[in-house]
Amino acid sequence: MGNKVTTFTEDQLEAYQDCTFFTRKEILRVFKRYQELSPDLIPFNMTGDESRKIKLPSDVIEQMAELSENPFKSRICQVFSEDGNGSLSFDDFLDMFSVFCEAAPRDIKTAYSFRIYDFDGDSYLNKEDLEKTLKNLTRDELTTDEVNFVVDKVLEEADLDDDGMLSYIEFEHVISRAPDFLNTFHIRI
Amino acid sequence: MDPPCDNDGYAPASPRTEGDEEYEMVDRNNGPTSSGLRRRKTWSAQNETDRETARLLESLPSRQLESLATTLGKDTIHFKHRRMKSFHGGSGVDPSNEIADAMTNDPQFAEKTEDEIEEMLKGMTTTLSSKRVIMHKVSSRRKRGVGRFTRFKYNVAMNWQHFKYSVAEVMYSLELWKSHLKLIEGHFGTGVTSYFLFLKWLFLINIPVFLLTLGFVVLPQVLYRWLKQDPPGYIEPSENSTYVSFTGIELLTGQGWFENTELYYGFYTNRTINLIGNHNYEMKYAYLFTCGGYYLLCLIILATSILQSYRKYYIEGSGDINFYYISKVFNGWDYGITSVEAARLKHKSLFLELSEYLAGFKGKKEKTLSAKCQLFMIRLCTNIAVLGLIGASGYLIYYLSSIIRRIEIPYLIDVLAIPLCITGVHLILPILFHLLERLECYVKPKTELYIHMIRTMTLKGVTLIVLVNFWFTELSKDSTLCWETYVGEEIYRLVIVDFIFTLLVTFLFEFMRRIVANYCIKSLSVAEFNIGRNTMDLIYSQTLCWLGTFYCPLLSCIVLIKLVIIFYVKRVSVIQNCQPSMRPWRAARSHTIFLGFLFSFFLLTTVAVACGIIFVEPSDNCGPYKGQNQTYQVVTELIDSWKDDYTWLTYTIEFISSPGFIAAVVIILGMGTYYLRLVMIGHKQMVTLLEQQLTLEGKDKNFLLKLLQDVNKKNKDKKKTSRPLTATSYLSDDTVTSPGGRTFIRQVAEASSRTGL
Repeated sequence: MGNKVTTFTEDQLEAYQDCTFFTRKEILRVFKRYQELSPDLIPFNMTGDESRKIKLPSDVIEQMAELSENPFKSRICQVFSEDGNGSLSFDDFLDMFSVFCEAAPRDIKTAYSFRIYDFDGDSYLNKEDLEKTLKNLTRDELTTDEVNFVVDKVLEEADLDDDGMLSYIEFEHVISRAPDFLNTFHIRI
Repeated sequence: MDPPCDNDGYAPASPRTEGDEEYEMVDRNNGPTSSGLRRRKTWSAQNETDRETARLLESLPSRQLESLATTLGKDTIHFKHRRMKSFHGGSGVDPSNEIADAMTNDPQFAEKTEDEIEEMLKGMTTTLSSKRVIMHKVSSRRKRGVGRFTRFKYNVAMNWQHFKYSVAEVMYSLELWKSHLKLIEGHFGTGVTSYFLFLKWLFLINIPVFLLTLGFVVLPQVLYRWLKQDPPGYIEPSENSTYVSFTGIELLTGQGWFENTELYYGFYTNRTINLIGNHNYEMKYAYLFTCGGYYLLCLIILATSILQSYRKYYIEGSGDINFYYISKVFNGWDYGITSVEAARLKHKSLFLELSEYLAGFKGKKEKTLSAKCQLFMIRLCTNIAVLGLIGASGYLIYYLSSIIRRIEIPYLIDVLAIPLCITGVHLILPILFHLLERLECYVKPKTELYIHMIRTMTLKGVTLIVLVNFWFTELSKDSTLCWETYVGEEIYRLVIVDFIFTLLVTFLFEFMRRIVANYCIKSLSVAEFNIGRNTMDLIYSQTLCWLGTFYCPLLSCIVLIKLVIIFYVKRVSVIQNCQPSMRPWRAARSHTIFLGFLFSFFLLTTVAVACGIIFVEPSDNCGPYKGQNQTYQVVTELIDSWKDDYTWLTYTIEFISSPGFIAAVVIILGMGTYYLRLVMIGHKQMVTLLEQQLTLEGKDKNFLLKLLQDVNKKNKDKKKTSRPLTATSYLSDDTVTSPGGRTFIRQVAEASSRTGL
């Protein structure tokens, strides 16, 4: 049926399959979505280094249906981008959806959700991080007092060594106790 | 004063000035990346001494551990204990090289299969590009110097991997209804999606049941009838009946033309089917063993699902500790939401919940004793009322069934009365239950929901038990009719009427309500999709399917078709007519509870059908067991026939079914359960103890670090006097005494006085 353009070489597909939680068909499907975001920039043939080099800016990625209503969309793009400014190459894009897919285990989801909520990137969730998370969730409708109260409560529940911040270990300890985490931290593509 | 030589690869980006700027340490390698973590200390580093403390903090083993845990995932953590220094020593080197080195230099590396290496790679939190680079490096290094046996092992492992991938590909292309589920999740979130996923799961369970009955029971009978012409066509082999033609009404009542087809038990032969050469196919054994087979299959599937679900959601998420705020903040947002309306509602619902909880928290008042007594009396009365209602409906069903058999009633009404009555009871009584629950004033909506579910399921269970009891006691005594076929017809009618009512209710309560809300009465709001009620309806219909498949072998096919139609109808209705709910639905916990209900109903149906097989006499003129005292007799006869040939087998079976053996097994299982429960309680206590210890250790650490800061400051001030500091001058300080930290203070003080920090 006409000339079939190979998007990826066999080795590339195999490497993707080994490093993500997707099967080949899903990888090709994710690529199709990636390309639809900006058909001019992304070529059909990605057999070379294009999957690492060519990056889409974050505002294009944030327009995707799956991310457009997410209050943490800019943070998600920053976490998964290689240089931290939010522009994603195809590798990063695939990585992102692989972490969010159903087959990804709890550990990797916990690690990435910690990074998403860590707005200042110091590997601790301090009060400012928690305040920003809360404001994003409620779209700024809570008063400052209420925000402070909730943040204090969160720290009371989770901060075991009382340093006023949540380290990764403490975060993981409470998230593993939350049964709904795997259901909510899940994007279908 | 020079900073101590730091071997952790981090260095100050530029000479920092004094003041209240935060001290920033930037990873020189890649800047702020995901693989090298950017650190910023929030200690207000007012001066040099604090910077030293902060730098010391960085090299604490626990901080190293955390950064490595997030980068490499848990499996490889044991690598890093040995290789910490070298990992952080390389500045300006690509970290993927380090990771690949660490992986290959581990002595256990050669033992690891492809599977495990892939698991490790997938679990790493670095970028995909670096993962590919690591993979490439690791696989190229592995290829050197492996023996023949290891190469054989790799081949086997790789072929297994390829096989698993191809299976996954096939499953992916076969996956049902993916786009529909995605659309529903985008608009409504995980709560409503859980209903549709449950429906899909029930659909998938019914497929093997259907295939089993089709292959082992229905097909042989069909082939027997076609090839041997016995009985010829579908005419009932009795003298005073005429050929009944197919009219449309049979689809509703299940009688008439359907009565003498493979649809019902009564049509199946009890002869030995001999189609090919001298291979005999005993329909008696086939029918019974297929029944046992699919019950066993369903038991295995249900038990494993409920165990997995319980472990995932209850044990790992331990039910006792209630992290309310954490689950709101970190699990509050449903990442699957894609529609604007659903997002707006979700934001609003999060805000409302938090503000409600905050308001309730501040103004909690203790109820007076009289109020508590009053509430207790009200709840007692409502519970008695509920039990009374359920008992009354049970009696009504029984009374109706017995009346119908005695009085002359026009044709359609007498067959449809019971199903209509039952379905009506199932619709009306839950509404009454809701009213009663409103009187009971439960504080948490969760409790109210669970109590409502238990009451509704009890109602359904009781009506079914009454009906089954009537069939087995009264109906089987009637020797003129083939009672198994009649039971099959009753269940068929129940299924069909339930299906019609589901469609009607969807149409009336969702579609009409939207029309009325949009065009007539503006104040009426659009319906929300009631997940609990719909899921319980699904459980009920699945119960009917399990109950009826013995008496009506093609019922599983009918239920499959019903599930497909209901899926599409509900999906269209939900998108068009419903709005997302403001209250969150705890999908994970509810899933386990629904599976629990399903499992208990499954056990009930197994017991019911087993009673029917063992205790009730089969009818004399129809079915595979005509003329016997018990259906189960064929099994006992089979075992007896083995007595001569396989005596050891008979002895084993006799031993296993003896009461002593069964009692011993039950006692051992009970003891095992009790022991495991004790272990679990011990673990929980251990966890609380360890958490307390952890908190205390954290407080210790803070205390010591403050002390360290003070020591540093004092050293700086006292440096001018050049008086050697001795450890003893600190030990006399009051603040030194702290639990578990005394020796450490002495060492630190001694070390600081020696090095003159």
